[in-house]
Amino acid sequence: MALLEVERLTVEFPTAASTLVAVDDVSFSVDAGEVVGIVGESGSGKSVTALATLGLVDEPGRVRAERLAFAGRDLPSLPPRERRALLGGDIAMIFQDPMTSLNPSFSVAFQLMEAIGLHEGGSRKVRRARALELLKAVEIPDPEHRLDAFPHQLSGGMSQRVMLAMAIACNPRLLIADEPTTALDVTIQAQMLALLLKLQRERGMALVLITHDLGVVAEVAERVIVMYAGQVVEEAAVPRIFEAPSHPYTEALLAALPERNVGRRRLQSLGGVVPGAFDRPGGCLLSPRCPYVQERCRAERPALFELAASRARCFFPLPSHAEVGRPP
Amino acid sequence: MTAPVSAAPPVLEAEALTKHYPVSGGFLKPPRTVRALEAASFSLAAGRTLAVVGESGCGKSTLARQVTMLETPTAGRLRLAGHDVAGADAAARKALRRTVQMVFQNPFASLNPRKKIGQALEEPLAINTALGAAERAERSRAMLARVGLRPEHHARYPHMFSGGQRQRVAIARALMLEPRIVVADEPVSALDVSIQAQVLNLLMDLQAETGVAYVFISHNLAVVELIADEVIVMYLGRVMERAPKAALFAAPRHPYSRALLASTPRIGAARGEAALARAARTALAGELPSPLAPPSGCVFRTRCPHAIAACAEVVPPLLPVGAGHEAACIRLDAI
Repeated sequence: MALLEVERLTVEFPTAASTLVAVDDVSFSVDAGEVVGIVGESGSGKSVTALATLGLVDEPGRVRAERLAFAGRDLPSLPPRERRALLGGDIAMIFQDPMTSLNPSFSVAFQLMEAIGLHEGGSRKVRRARALELLKAVEIPDPEHRLDAFPHQLSGGMSQRVMLAMAIACNPRLLIADEPTTALDVTIQAQMLALLLKLQRERGMALVLITHDLGVVAEVAERVIVMYAGQVVEEAAVPRIFEAPSHPYTEALLAALPERNVGRRRLQSLGGVVPGAFDRPGGCLLSPRCPYVQERCRAERPALFELAASRARCFFPLPSHAEVGRPP
Repeated sequence: MTAPVSAAPPVLEAEALTKHYPVSGGFLKPPRTVRALEAASFSLAAGRTLAVVGESGCGKSTLARQVTMLETPTAGRLRLAGHDVAGADAAARKALRRTVQMVFQNPFASLNPRKKIGQALEEPLAINTALGAAERAERSRAMLARVGLRPEHHARYPHMFSGGQRQRVAIARALMLEPRIVVADEPVSALDVSIQAQVLNLLMDLQAETGVAYVFISHNLAVVELIADEVIVMYLGRVMERAPKAALFAAPRHPYSRALLASTPRIGAARGEAALARAARTALAGELPSPLAPPSGCVFRTRCPHAIAACAEVVPPLLPVGAGHEAACIRLDAI
């Protein structure tokens, strides 16, 4: 049984004029101890998917799903008390901007001990020792000294390590990391990714890594989910997805990378922009920008079809463009 | 792209360009000095691109502020289009300012939200030229077309545009005065990868059409490898390595350049366990030292895997290691 199951998740935000569909019919699952990457451009719904899964989408957002379950327990029907115990306990999350995730008014020790106290309890002395142990686990130099530091005394990389220490405090079985290295310098990013992967291996955690950086996903994830305009457009294992993408959008994303165009004078790029709230096309959401678009793509919305080694939301998946899902 | 650097006279020359900022040391304490830029020398010819790479605090943006004449360097010489900036009087400085323009990182912050796009584009002309209103409007419409926007965008406000479109407007505004040099400070970092590709294509097309020279500041080595002719690698205010692009990416000489290249995640590189092993081998330990108290000798020595005692003694000079290629390291022969 999968650790995290998400089936047909839809998140909508009503606006004055119409309804913004942030997440549209998203299904995926994460097994225990697995590293899954979710990639997509801004507005593709990757963060909202994670937040909705954890029940963190507030009014007026509307969340619907056929199934949202963690370790077999149905999340939406869980009493609030039990759900709070689950979040920060078995499921932890870290965010992009470590500087704003920490409370500037309290020391590192206070914030770590608060998290430990909420889930495990224990005396002040025990909790402080645990906090120190956690700072050592995330490889903060001079941890005894850093315990009493305040967030403004820490660099970005150091703050993200503290956030990670807090996240792993209760030995989570699932860690969701939303753009954990985007705000960091490249040499610090390399340290952080190595640390994330090391902790994931040591503790057997499942890791969901949300990012826009295909390079990061390629190095860290075992399986990748590509999102576009709120939908999952492709899901496949690494490195297959980078070598033989099934969906035209995945192919276009890869083709637009500067490192795939060295020596050329122009980068390949899809024309147009991601559809917004008011211009969601009928049929396939990529159809106005897709170089392979056909009549059927404009008329019908494709489902996420099971292919030989991947899943893709396309009637004419690459490389053969052979039509799939034609109703009998 | 392989034309020799000496083919055209440089439009930009910097010799030992240095900028120090005084900062308050605290109440009743003497002020201290941040050495944001130390003795940077480089030159740039028309139609070519000089990339400046490095992490936060390396002095990239300080360099941009000196080159665009927004600040006066503490020491060193800066020549724009053959004219010495320091020796110029007020009128000459005003004329020189037109030759160098800037594109900023965040297109959401660099456009005035209360000005229509047309006004934003025409403002440089109104300030710097004697053109009439009709002529200004005509030129701004022509520029909109050149950066791939439509004439009706002229009367719209910035909030009506996406990030990629706003960056096109920012590029259009920088080009209104037909500058010889455009300094682009992380121009595509805030953009998604498909939009980034469109904007990079635009920058390269405009360079081919107008012969403008770019100082391209970026932390993204993949982008630099695509767009640059020459690259300067900086760390804590100092130039660590200067090299033609091909030489830097094929055979970086300075340990910091090597670490930067190795730290960049790539598709097709090692994964999982192999990535862990690679990270352990190449990852730099520790963090950037404070620019208020940089290490003695080589500023990189506290994180350098090859550092020896002598590295703390002397500031390594830039030594030639190939054609147009120099690196500041005393252990070049040993590593």
